[in-house]
Amino acid sequence: MKQILLITDGCSNVGESPVTAAAQAWAEGIAVNVVGVVDEGSIGELGAREIDEIARAGGGMSRIVGSRQLSRTVQMMTRMTVAGTIRQAVNHELQQLFGLDSVGALPPDKRAEVVRVMDELEETSELRVVLLIDASASMKPKLSAVEEAIRDLALSLEARTGSSAVAVFHYPGEYGHLPCALDCDWTRDAAGLPALFARIRTKGTTPTGPAILQAVDFIRQTCGKIKEEWDDILPSGRGDAGEVRSDYVV
Amino acid sequence: MTSCRPGGAMPARCAVTTSFKPELLLQPGTVVTGKWNGKKYKLERVLGAGANGQVYLASVGRSVCALKIGTEAAELQGEANVLASLDGKERGRGRPPFLLDVDDFQFNGRALPFYSMRYVPGIPVRSYLRRHGGQWVGVIGHRLLERLAELHEAGWVFSDLKNDNVLVHDYGRVELVDYGGMTAMGRAVRQFTEIYDRGYWSAGSRTADAAYDWFAFAVLWLHATDAKRLFQLSRSRLPQDRGIEDLMKLIRSNPKLRPIEQWLGKALRGQFRDTREALKEWRAAHRASDAAVRSRIPAWMTGMLVFSAALCLTLAALWLF
Repeated sequence: MKQILLITDGCSNVGESPVTAAAQAWAEGIAVNVVGVVDEGSIGELGAREIDEIARAGGGMSRIVGSRQLSRTVQMMTRMTVAGTIRQAVNHELQQLFGLDSVGALPPDKRAEVVRVMDELEETSELRVVLLIDASASMKPKLSAVEEAIRDLALSLEARTGSSAVAVFHYPGEYGHLPCALDCDWTRDAAGLPALFARIRTKGTTPTGPAILQAVDFIRQTCGKIKEEWDDILPSGRGDAGEVRSDYVV
Repeated sequence: MTSCRPGGAMPARCAVTTSFKPELLLQPGTVVTGKWNGKKYKLERVLGAGANGQVYLASVGRSVCALKIGTEAAELQGEANVLASLDGKERGRGRPPFLLDVDDFQFNGRALPFYSMRYVPGIPVRSYLRRHGGQWVGVIGHRLLERLAELHEAGWVFSDLKNDNVLVHDYGRVELVDYGGMTAMGRAVRQFTEIYDRGYWSAGSRTADAAYDWFAFAVLWLHATDAKRLFQLSRSRLPQDRGIEDLMKLIRSNPKLRPIEQWLGKALRGQFRDTREALKEWRAAHRASDAAVRSRIPAWMTGMLVFSAALCLTLAALWLF
């Protein structure tokens, strides 16, 4: 499973629309979640609407929180998106096979079996999360909270049974010709995270759309074909799921 | 599988498989009729509201139970599965089952999932100690460790151990509630509360093991006897500086916990062989601290001795000269 988690505090102002970029990511099987961080004042109606729309287009969820809630919000979203992706796949399968609209339409004893498989997948499936951090000038005071949230997420992912890794980008990139810059390549453990934003020079522009697209490219280049991966994630012997026999399709 | 409750006294209950759906509160008196099993429950009052559902006290005929109503069937079923599995493993112990029923009911045209469980009486540890005094720490801790030992021996880690989830009644009898976070050993902890979390204090991983619960158990006593300083500490330290030593400082300067400082240190560092050993040492630590209290001569007695000696001397001096 692949996710991009965008942490920002305002509107994009350069390049492609972040909404279409997120839709493109989702079309390639990458869910996009968005956290808006505001400590004083509000994010503005425009910013709030953009955040909401990016998440909708990206098949993810969005939240606007203060930097104190950042850690737990980031973790909750990541986890819920994994659970949501699995749920969606299972519901789709139930629909195809039995014309049921969701797991909830199964009688409780069958539901128990299916949910057991879903929980197992949630813990064991492979997970890759790209954290895409808005490093425009206004984000500067929030970057230490962002860094803490990233470490905390890495610590939680490290405990999963399934292979999990995070990578971190910030945008805009340092040299102007790339929308975002890599701070940390795929890492599996929290201890492997370097000091992330110590040397960052925050700039004015916010190329959110181009940055999302670059993160998608990065995932494609480093993780191979994304869509076919479901075949590997799902266990083949699924006898314990009752009647659910064929492969889940995303 | 609940969490991230906004606001409240314990703001940092963190984790994960939660929905962001708006709260739904049903009126007391509402009758819930199961769609599949047909059982009827009358809601009496709200016991608690989490992010993925509410727990009500409900009556079925003449008996009562706790009813958890949510919105996401898969999520509630996941919790019910954990309870069912626990019941299966504990059937031999003569413990009544926790999980009673899993079903759905129709409300305003939509099917809401719920499950019912044994109602657990009692109040959180902190309130219990305030009402009945700090001398109950030993007994409550003993019973709680015993319960944790049972869970650990069955291959589970409770993981979201905290004040709100430990209910005490009748002379220090302890029951754990909210088994939604219970995790099989070796898996990732899914539900935790920052201030109780080993990872938060840079004291270890979030992989479920017995030591994860020992850590939270030690923090529980700080929270129960010294909440203000604990929260202050957590707010004032930078994440990279937080560590076990900070907690130990609080323990050393807390007269209620000082006598069991060594035990708490071992719990925070995960230095017991297993939970039975932790229990044995807990008992020994409390016996030792009781004995210390008994053998100490109160200050007023020492004062009286000095005073009477001085009086004798003065009188002797007056008589002599």
